[in-house]
Amino acid sequence: MGALTRERDVREAYSAHSGELFGFAVRSLGDAGLAEEAVQETFLRAWKAGDRFDPQIGSLRTWLFAILRNVVIDLGRARAARPRVAEGGVEPAVEPLEQALLAWQVEEAMRRIGEDHRRVLLETHFRARPYAEVAAELGVPEGTIKSRVYYGLRALRVALEEMGYED
Amino acid sequence: MRTEDHRDWRLSLGAYALGDLPADERAAVSAHLEGCAECRAELRSLEGVAALMALADPDRIEAPAASPPADLGARIEAQIAAEASRERREKRRRRLRLGAGGAVAAALVAAVLAIAILPGGGSGGGGESSPAQQVHFTSVPNGVSISATLEPHAFGTEIQMYVSGIRSGTLCRVFLRDARGRTFPAGSFRYRWGGDSEAVLSSALDLSQAAEIGVHAGAQTFTAPIGQATALVGGAGTGSA
Repeated sequence: MGALTRERDVREAYSAHSGELFGFAVRSLGDAGLAEEAVQETFLRAWKAGDRFDPQIGSLRTWLFAILRNVVIDLGRARAARPRVAEGGVEPAVEPLEQALLAWQVEEAMRRIGEDHRRVLLETHFRARPYAEVAAELGVPEGTIKSRVYYGLRALRVALEEMGYED
Repeated sequence: MRTEDHRDWRLSLGAYALGDLPADERAAVSAHLEGCAECRAELRSLEGVAALMALADPDRIEAPAASPPADLGARIEAQIAAEASRERREKRRRRLRLGAGGAVAAALVAAVLAIAILPGGGSGGGGESSPAQQVHFTSVPNGVSISATLEPHAFGTEIQMYVSGIRSGTLCRVFLRDARGRTFPAGSFRYRWGGDSEAVLSSALDLSQAAEIGVHAGAQTFTAPIGQATALVGGAGTGSA
């Protein structure tokens, strides 16, 4: 696909990437309504700047994410400019956007790997449970847990690479 | 070293990269890594990903993935279509202001003009998107001018009608017909003197399928063929009283 100037191109781009874009928008804005707004604005900007998209330079996905990132920054600014509802309320810590994008990609990659691998990585690494305990719970030898961690990490790397991750 | 041993070491590298090995096992793997370039390379390829894991939130991983509302795509398409037709109208107004006189004269000679103008797009001209078309109605009474610009869209065809010279207040009902003579209504408008003589309408018929456009204007019906870019001099439209 070349430039993104035709309305049909936009429709194809939407069906291919809207799920991911929306997922990240929800993750970084913390609000489904704002995320909808962000995705809508992203595709509108993409269409308006469609003749500047060059598939030789980067993938459509990367380009759309770059636009979304700007939209999220703009929305964040607009939200920050609004008067606070509650005086003295605690503002949630704002995660830097680049980091939010990476975090979301890791979470998304974790969702994409096989259930066996995901389960073992979640229990042993994120929840820091001993391998023996997880092995007993799943009814498999401890060595299997270790190999699932290894293959799970490799699968995670592949899933991240599919999303454009490079070392 | 035996192959199985090597395989065992390799399988430990995931836990090693994540820092999840007990101290004694970790020391053993470290010792093996000293002497095994292959395992060192494998470890390097896992370390970047392992470090990224610290960013992720396990509860978010297990939460069902958020998906956009079903109608968001349609809303975006509608917004883009509206934006596109607004831009086209502005372009057209500028063109009309520049050369109104010449355009009328040209319209009398060429019955059907097909103009391939889409903002910024279709420059490849591969014919995969049908271009916008401009249609002039020729068989109309003296003093009456009807033309239309047809734009292809995902939903069908957008039609901008430009009418002048008919009685103010006349109800105009627009339709498209395909090659098999099936009629697809495109809505209606009332012509007003002094007001904006253009109306933006839409029809579900795909522009590539449209063979004819017509207007019921009061008791009269005017039609003009759509399609081939060849100019038909005279007799292109069929007016019937």
